[in-house]
Amino acid sequence: MLSVNAFTLSTKNKVLIKDLSFTIEKGQVLSLMGPSGIGKSSLLHYLSGTLSPTLTATGNVLLDNNTLHNQSIQSRKVGLLQQMPLLFPHMSILENLLFAIPPEIKKQERQDLAYQALEKLNMPDKAHSLPKQLSGGQQARVALLRTLLAKPDFLLLDEPFSKLDPALRRDVRTFVLAEIRHANIPALLVTHDAEDAKAMEGKCLEIEAAE
Amino acid sequence: MPLKHTKWITVFIALFLVLPIFMGLIGTLLPAFQFFPPLGEYTFSLDPWRNMLAQGEFYASLKLTLISGIGGPLLSLWLALSLLAWGYQRPFFKKIEAFLSPILAIPHAAIAIGLLFLLSPSGWLIRLFSPWLTGFERPPNWITVQDPYSLSLIFALVIKEMPYLLFVMMAAMKSIQARETIQACQALGYGRLTLWRKVLIPQLYPIIRLPIFIVIAFSLTVVDLALVIGPNTPSTLAITLYRWFNDPDLSMRLMGSAGAVFLMLVIVFTLAGWEIMHKLLSHLTRYERSNGRRCGFSDNLLGSGVVLGLITLLSAFAALLLLPLWSVAKRWRFPDALPSTWTWNNIERATPLLLELASNTLIIAVIATLIAGVFSLIMLEIKRLSCAKSATPSEHHAFDWLIYVPILLPQIGFLFGLHVLLIYLDLNGSLCAIIALHLMYVLPYVYLTLKGPYLAYNEQYLQQANRLNYYPWRHYVTIKLAMLKPALFTAFAMGFSVSIAQYLPTLIAGEGRHSTLTTEAVALAASGDRKKVGSMALLQALFPVIVFWFAQVIPSRWTKWRLTIKCFFSKDKKCSA
Repeated sequence: MLSVNAFTLSTKNKVLIKDLSFTIEKGQVLSLMGPSGIGKSSLLHYLSGTLSPTLTATGNVLLDNNTLHNQSIQSRKVGLLQQMPLLFPHMSILENLLFAIPPEIKKQERQDLAYQALEKLNMPDKAHSLPKQLSGGQQARVALLRTLLAKPDFLLLDEPFSKLDPALRRDVRTFVLAEIRHANIPALLVTHDAEDAKAMEGKCLEIEAAE
Repeated sequence: MPLKHTKWITVFIALFLVLPIFMGLIGTLLPAFQFFPPLGEYTFSLDPWRNMLAQGEFYASLKLTLISGIGGPLLSLWLALSLLAWGYQRPFFKKIEAFLSPILAIPHAAIAIGLLFLLSPSGWLIRLFSPWLTGFERPPNWITVQDPYSLSLIFALVIKEMPYLLFVMMAAMKSIQARETIQACQALGYGRLTLWRKVLIPQLYPIIRLPIFIVIAFSLTVVDLALVIGPNTPSTLAITLYRWFNDPDLSMRLMGSAGAVFLMLVIVFTLAGWEIMHKLLSHLTRYERSNGRRCGFSDNLLGSGVVLGLITLLSAFAALLLLPLWSVAKRWRFPDALPSTWTWNNIERATPLLLELASNTLIIAVIATLIAGVFSLIMLEIKRLSCAKSATPSEHHAFDWLIYVPILLPQIGFLFGLHVLLIYLDLNGSLCAIIALHLMYVLPYVYLTLKGPYLAYNEQYLQQANRLNYYPWRHYVTIKLAMLKPALFTAFAMGFSVSIAQYLPTLIAGEGRHSTLTTEAVALAASGDRKKVGSMALLQALFPVIVFWFAQVIPSRWTKWRLTIKCFFSKDKKCSA
């Protein structure tokens, strides 16, 4: 369970978000909606530990009753999926997937895990292709599975569907939801699109500009 | 790059950039006023200046320096602007663009030697028209190169600098929205050359001011080019100073130092004068620009510049083609346009020497460039961090102007001063000293080449990699640097060719104990052994071209090759690269 208490975000001279609190259960997706520029993405960066130094944020973040916000980036075990799939262009799809698998796992098992993921994506033949040879929808799915292969404790989604065309979007959404439930981790989705929020079958939180 | 202690690293690198030059300048400035402890001179006086001003050679040299140092850049700028105005965005101009990079990459000494082969009285140009047109059965008694008016030096400077300015201008065209401007002006009925003259060049000039200044400073102080193709007795000021510094009579160094200080003042005044002339010119043409005339008389200036520019480019290529020709010529008597008998013997006979020179050259170039690459990456990372931290990212970090110091200052101004420091440190004549001095010149070019792509890199890739698996150093190399491969390779090629071209730093730091292709080719240029010089200059020209070619070819195919090799060795039968 991921819970955020009294999150406040501000720039040097302006408060962007004030006292935002919510909790997300395992396997559930909470959708966060609001006007652009309000700091939704910055909330995600705060949770993942990469907040821009020009912003200041306060608030308690608990993951299964352990405080998260004062931990180092490497110990947070966070998965973040953004608009851009960010697949490494100089690695094959298989290498991209293998990249994410934790190093403790032995070699043969790593291969098996990566190939299982490819089976799930229905593209075992694309193992040795480069990311640019895949369609946008395929890239988005590979990116999700790559994130999940790293075994994160919670998942952050920053408008991951906005670059996809509408027909594809529906498929990718269902795929994402199914995978999150399968992984059984809390997920926070930031979006502009009310359809996204609805498709995630979870709670939806709308934030407005503070003051 | 998970850098720590960025403040200390910044200070360290800034010191590295500034300290040697500062020491070098001090080492030049003090002797210029008679203070030179190694010779037992502990009192300040103006004697070196008086001695210098009493030399008739000084005034003759100064005149030649001013003629070539101002004439060269002026012509280069004119021809480059003309060519750009004429050809910009025309399909065949793309082909000329492709020819530019080899000329840029090739050391100027090699080009100068090729020009010598082309233009000298027994050169290829006169051979081509002899005897059927000129009637010459033997080389005429003309002075076509190393002429007392430094015209051949100016020509060599133009050949080297026009492509550079053209290259810089084409990069700058994007930032002034040239295409839209051209369309708008053409819709108003302005002719191509007129709209360039009235609208685009005034916008372009401020962006390329710094490269022009670099070109001027270079032309006023160039040594190797002037040694090969410049006038002698009297020669340009830089060469005269160079001779004074190398005089067996060590007290001549005092006069040389005074001259070096004077030469730096010459640069300052020339640049100031150039800027004043520019202000004046743009003031005078201001009215003319808005008088509404759609074409004008001065368009011819650009038109004739195009013709001269093309001739210049053509002769640059002819000069380069003559290098391999001479290195395989056995018998090539005067009026023949081509050798009558060919041989590999020249190269074979020179092989032991060439191997030694080439290995020296390559060792110095590769090590200096690799160090420069690491330094540049650290500097750029610090710059990136400081940009990311501040809310209002300022364009200028201290590095951005410090890096220009070695390029803008004349080598002759501080290298001899630095040499004294090297002697104190007991580093004189060592390979380390040569590499360190090369580094000073390689670093700026590597840094400037890497800067754009490095700062434009999408940092999210690296962040995502570290989120998946936290190995900041490893991922910096395997993700960020791997993705920046094309820029890294280009920067390497750039630094490499800069290092290959260095003459004075190699000579001063190495004290002649470590010869490179460049120092040897320049030393032999006057010897008349064209076959030997041709082979050396050819190798000197060939290395940068090959490295630039690699830099083009390798990065784009790297991943494909890597995956193919990986597949070849893996048991996975589904591999299909």
